Amino acid sequence: MSTPATARRPSYVGSVLRIFDLSLGEMLWSRRSVFLALLVGGPVVLAVISRVVWALTPVDALRVNGASVSGPGIFGLMIWLLYVRFIVPILGVFYGTGLIADEVENRTLTYLFTRPIPRGAVLVGKYLAYLACTVLLILPSVVLVFFLMVPLNGGSIGAQFPSLVGDLGMLAAGLAAYGAVFGWVGARVRRPLVAGLVFVLGWEPAVLLFPGYLKHLTVAYYLQALVPHAMPEDSAISALLQAFSDVPGVAPSLLALAILTGAALWVAARTVESREYVLEQ
Amino acid sequence: MSIVVAEGVSKWYGQVIGLNDVTVSVPPGITGLLGPNGAGKSTFMKLVTGQLQPSKGRISVLGAPIWQHPDLYFRIGFCPEQDAFYERMTGLEWVSALVGLNGLSDADARAAARRALDMVDLSDAANKKIGAYSKGMRQRVKMAQALAHEPELLILDEPLSGMDPIARRRTIRLIREWGRTGRSVIVSSHVLHEIESMTSNILLINQGRILAEGDVHQIRDLIDEHPHTVHIRAEQPRALAREFLGADDVLSLRFEEDAVVVQTGKPDLFYARLTAMAASNEFGSIREVTSPDDNLAAVFEYLVK
Repeated sequence: MSTPATARRPSYVGSVLRIFDLSLGEMLWSRRSVFLALLVGGPVVLAVISRVVWALTPVDALRVNGASVSGPGIFGLMIWLLYVRFIVPILGVFYGTGLIADEVENRTLTYLFTRPIPRGAVLVGKYLAYLACTVLLILPSVVLVFFLMVPLNGGSIGAQFPSLVGDLGMLAAGLAAYGAVFGWVGARVRRPLVAGLVFVLGWEPAVLLFPGYLKHLTVAYYLQALVPHAMPEDSAISALLQAFSDVPGVAPSLLALAILTGAALWVAARTVESREYVLEQ
Repeated sequence: MSIVVAEGVSKWYGQVIGLNDVTVSVPPGITGLLGPNGAGKSTFMKLVTGQLQPSKGRISVLGAPIWQHPDLYFRIGFCPEQDAFYERMTGLEWVSALVGLNGLSDADARAAARRALDMVDLSDAANKKIGAYSKGMRQRVKMAQALAHEPELLILDEPLSGMDPIARRRTIRLIREWGRTGRSVIVSSHVLHEIESMTSNILLINQGRILAEGDVHQIRDLIDEHPHTVHIRAEQPRALAREFLGADDVLSLRFEEDAVVVQTGKPDLFYARLTAMAASNEFGSIREVTSPDDNLAAVFEYLVK
């Protein structure tokens, strides 16, 4: 027996793609994905209920706290409140923190770390699998909500379609940023889920309410600048939104998110390269 | 040239010592790492496979430091102790995916995986999900992923654990054949006769230290230098004791109800004489002969005293 002649050191990109290939199926069909699919299905259920109520009780105009709201406006509100502020961070926490931590907990990391590929490529490959998996989860949900909600109250699907594309791009940017940040947390911390949940459900909402520079240390601060929708006026929600009026421009936000994503991914890969992972026997 | 060289290697897990100032050279061929549970075998294996970095000292494998040196994994195959898998994958998918990380094309990886599964007698179950495998099959599919890329050095951590007797015999044969092709194997176990069935070259490890290394017979001599206790339940223990008292190899004896407990410095000679005495029927029936030395932990207790 001899070493196969065709074996050669895989390139970094090749290694990343192999890990992506290995991880995507595992990620898609995990119990976590089933649970998070239910979460992502929540807005669809809400949208279906809204349509049914609208069909059964026709009114001249849809109002929220007395203010007239169009279908696209409600869709924008759902994107902002449900997806940007809740679903995307939660997906980022649950998947991102598990990129390496799951392999440690399941004691399967050994198989990946005793192969002739850089350890960093393991993290990057799993990160790409996370992106593909979460986009596959969130895309049908957003599209369904779009088609259910936008026609309400005279909204035009054709006219609003470009904003749907913008929304999907913005959600992908959010998933990329949160995934990279929590990928690093998962590579660095032994029990990363708690840290991640504290970040998205405690730290981010809290510091966004206060003036100052602390909000620059969140992902949500940059992400909210990408929400392309006009919010309803003269409502309690719009009053709440005023609290977040300190919003950076789209270009600086995109740049900040790109830098944040790249830096977090690089640090995460460096962490995985240099850190020992002691698996429990 | 040694395949593994450890120089003053220690490994701490916080306050716990996993390996304590180990200096050892492992020669090519098959080497057994023998020690009771918790002796430090798995820590040594993880250091040799570059999963852990020594807290102190240096360790090199196939002539190069292993920590953060992934190129060496072309030449090394590792079968870990833990029973952990991607349960939803079939055996063939799993082994193909892992060997694909060694730079093989999809087709080559699949062919290599099929060969490896065949070597461990899992061809029939190749397309079954690993989650449906028995314990023995899971052990064998772990072996398959370790040897699929035909490494120069195979490192096996407790590979026979959970295997049925037939699979155990086949695996032992596979390991011996692997060694006969000029490749090296480091195999750990806490069962002496398992190791002896694969190789005569062993390392004895206990409490994080290498106690002895070399040929198993030399180590047996080392073990045999220590008093060996034999517990004999017999019809006439006092008659047996009188006969033993005249023998040079008997170091001490005492009585326990219907038994005599003997300490001997030459177990082989003692057992031969005892067999002859039992066959002669001059001392009544000898009902039971046991030795705490059959227990590996007792051997190690002797060695560390």
